[in-house]
Amino acid sequence: MVELENSSPTVSTASREVSGYEQTTPLPAAPPLKKKRNLPGMPDPEAEVIALSPKALLATNRFVCEICNKGFQRDQNLQLHRRGHNLPWKLKQRTSKEVRKRVYVCPEPSCVHHSPGRALGDLTGIKKHFCRKHGEKKWKCERCSKKYAVQSDWKAHMKTCGTREYKCDCGTIFSRRDSFITHRAFCDALAEESARTHPLEIPSSGPNTNAGHVVASSPPPPPPPTPTTTVASPALSIQSSELSENTIGVSPATATATATATAAYLNATASTTARSSSSSGAVVITSIFAPSTVTTITQQPSSFSNVICAFSRSDCPSTANPIEPASLSLSTSLYLSNNGSSSIFATPNQDYRHYAPSPQPAMSATALLQKAAQMGAAASNASLLRGFGLATSSSSGQDGSAAGWNGHVIKTECSSPSMTDGLGLRLPSGGGSSGLTDHVMMGGGSGSSSSPFGSQPMTRDLLGLGRDGGGTSTGGLSALLTSFGSGFDVAVTAAAASLHNTQNNNS
Amino acid sequence: MKAELKGNTSVSLQSPTLFDTRQSPLSGALNGCLGSLDGACLEKLLIHCASALETNDVTLAQQVMWVLNNVASSVGDPNQRLTSWFLRALISRASRVYPTTMNFDGSSTIPKRLMSVTELAGYVDLIPWHRFGFCASNSAILKAIQGFPRVHILDFSITHCMQWPTLIDALAKRPEGPPSLRITVPSSRPPVPPLLNISTEEVGLRLGNFAKYRDVPFEFHVFDNSPSTALGEIMCKESPSFHFESILSHLNNPSMLNLREDEALVINCQHWLRYLSDELKGSPHGASLRDTFINIVKGLNPQIIVVVDEDSDLSASSLTSRITTCFNYLWIPYDALETFLPKDSSQRIEYESDVGHKIENIISFEGFQRIERLESGIKLSQRWKNAGYLNIPFCEETVKEVRALLDEHASGWGMKKEEDMLVLTWKGHNSVFATVWVPNGLED
Repeated sequence: MVELENSSPTVSTASREVSGYEQTTPLPAAPPLKKKRNLPGMPDPEAEVIALSPKALLATNRFVCEICNKGFQRDQNLQLHRRGHNLPWKLKQRTSKEVRKRVYVCPEPSCVHHSPGRALGDLTGIKKHFCRKHGEKKWKCERCSKKYAVQSDWKAHMKTCGTREYKCDCGTIFSRRDSFITHRAFCDALAEESARTHPLEIPSSGPNTNAGHVVASSPPPPPPPTPTTTVASPALSIQSSELSENTIGVSPATATATATATAAYLNATASTTARSSSSSGAVVITSIFAPSTVTTITQQPSSFSNVICAFSRSDCPSTANPIEPASLSLSTSLYLSNNGSSSIFATPNQDYRHYAPSPQPAMSATALLQKAAQMGAAASNASLLRGFGLATSSSSGQDGSAAGWNGHVIKTECSSPSMTDGLGLRLPSGGGSSGLTDHVMMGGGSGSSSSPFGSQPMTRDLLGLGRDGGGTSTGGLSALLTSFGSGFDVAVTAAAASLHNTQNNNS
Repeated sequence: MKAELKGNTSVSLQSPTLFDTRQSPLSGALNGCLGSLDGACLEKLLIHCASALETNDVTLAQQVMWVLNNVASSVGDPNQRLTSWFLRALISRASRVYPTTMNFDGSSTIPKRLMSVTELAGYVDLIPWHRFGFCASNSAILKAIQGFPRVHILDFSITHCMQWPTLIDALAKRPEGPPSLRITVPSSRPPVPPLLNISTEEVGLRLGNFAKYRDVPFEFHVFDNSPSTALGEIMCKESPSFHFESILSHLNNPSMLNLREDEALVINCQHWLRYLSDELKGSPHGASLRDTFINIVKGLNPQIIVVVDEDSDLSASSLTSRITTCFNYLWIPYDALETFLPKDSSQRIEYESDVGHKIENIISFEGFQRIERLESGIKLSQRWKNAGYLNIPFCEETVKEVRALLDEHASGWGMKKEEDMLVLTWKGHNSVFATVWVPNGLED
């Protein structure tokens, strides 16, 4: 293997251990790391980073008694055992006890704890982490069917699963008392209850402040899956008598909380204006939790994540809609177009197409470097946004997907004409402004560091602005902005939408 | 050849000359990153992007962002998700270079999400990030107000009184009977998640309802720190710190807070002090807002002050120095959520988006718009000490309670004592600290 020049001792440790994957003996510690300035979380910057192979890590009896060769899982157990040998004083001392603290990294290269900056302080911890994250989950809880890879986790869970349960009047169950108390304090069920009866008995005895039995008169709320509108309305009518009209009768069915939270999240911008007037807020919120909204949940999260996905790597959930393949093809076309001059990467597009949702990028760092270099040296079509696959209708062959995507965004907001001026169409000319705008206007490396990858003057700019002085570039900016999601910013989206419209009309 | 492009293994290069002739900034950035882009490489890339943005090297910034884009995924593994939010913040920053008519008020590009009060109750319990502070603080408060018949809490926090039900519950069970409890909150809070869809007054009403149910005499006050004049409104838009200045003027004028003689005064700062600016320039008294607050509070003769905040120094003026500290700190919630929520969990995505909010503010804003001014526990403690306060250690009972709380969460959460601070840790890394202070000369 050809060694790259490595200036960083930290990383060379990691890379050495990657190749030493098959070693069975615990590897000796790497040379002590110099204090790395970017490790604020590391308890001891002088700590020794130890990287064990998976086999070594999971070896159960690493600590061996030198006298009788008995193996132990833990160092403490070994020490206890050694005492039993009645050693003379000299031998009782551990040989040259290492004062320097040891931290351990995970052998799995894709893991976040593989990096020394995320090392864990004790061996048991990293062992458990490795098993939990990268190991097979062999232990299963019978009651709730949760699975665990580490036996002690499973045992700990078995202790609490189903043993203590706190039930709120609204039907939600909690395993933790403090969560139960906090929920109960704000739950509508309590408000309803106090509206009707003044609670005479306080369940003060016993650890369970289960108030389910306090008031018998209130009808039990319907189970969560049923449409929440019916639950909300009685709550509203009761509360309006007791509390101010600002009460929002959010359904106590917190089982649907995640679904409704998503709805609320995605509807946030659409209904921001509605929410701001709290007196009508109650009705609006209720309608948001209407079943019709709930049923569209399955679509909306995917569109949200697709918006981000189209901007980021194609690691989308399987509910991805047509946008995903579109972005793939866009980035693929970029690679293909840039591939003419390179011989190293024969079919990079294949990497992209077959990119299964795996935890790490399919392309190695060096591959990315090559691509980025080509991007720097490539001809005109390499604005940042196009590289991200966000080309608008100005690019050939990509009208359908991009327009469809922008079309989706346009629907949500109305346009505001005053914003069109703001989107970079009136960049200040000449000096005096920031260096970035200078680049944009003059289209060349005027005074700042030049690109080493090509001798061309900079024909690209950060956001696709200024290249043609309008037109296509501003479309690129609008694509960038719309890529941030339908709720990016009312004004922003409106501007982008109107720009796109203008551009569509122009092209 | 294709196999060599996959991330796991090291790559053998056919043409090493690509790398060692012209040491371009980008190849320098990726120097030593064999195989996949792990955390160490991402750090380097972020540093390079930050310094490129600070020096207006658009090409390099662009190229690094392109590489980061290949890693980023908001539904991938924690590193990918974290990277996607950082990338978003970087692009947001870069795009703000162009003067536009949008975003002048420093508002985020991320859609604001309003929660219901029961959703918020669940939100604060997803990970112990907030509950740790609640538990430690409430336990310390309980101890400090022993024997007092009346208690007044000045509550400065961002979690809309989620802390108090458990305290009310504990007060209700006090052997000598509950004290009268009064909670005062400012009317406006830092514009950060978690956001609630009801007003502060409404929250107070529900809390009062609960206190009545538990037979604890209760009062709830909201003191108005919003501007009363048109000029004040304009100033608020320009500078969010104006709200804080109004708070300080209220504190300076105790009669406005209606403090009473026979009350134990408790000052509660939960994930709030970091929003008080620590900048010296531009401040009227020559002291930062933060120091001014710390000094003013002493004059109120509090029985106890609890301060809980995020344990990281993220207030540096240079982006390059902030970005890796930020990366090496805010990975924690992403990593924690990964351990028990699936990749497409909406709860998880929402929580991560709220952290993304913070990332965006730290990375993409400057000046008074950058409101997230995190300061580590040790440094913040030094401010309190300098101002003449005594650090009170947490008693064993509190430590036990916190431990019991953490046992009920994922096993990566732990706790340690650092000097007189209690620190919440995730896999050994510091996340949130809790401290207790009394004015010097006032200890029992």
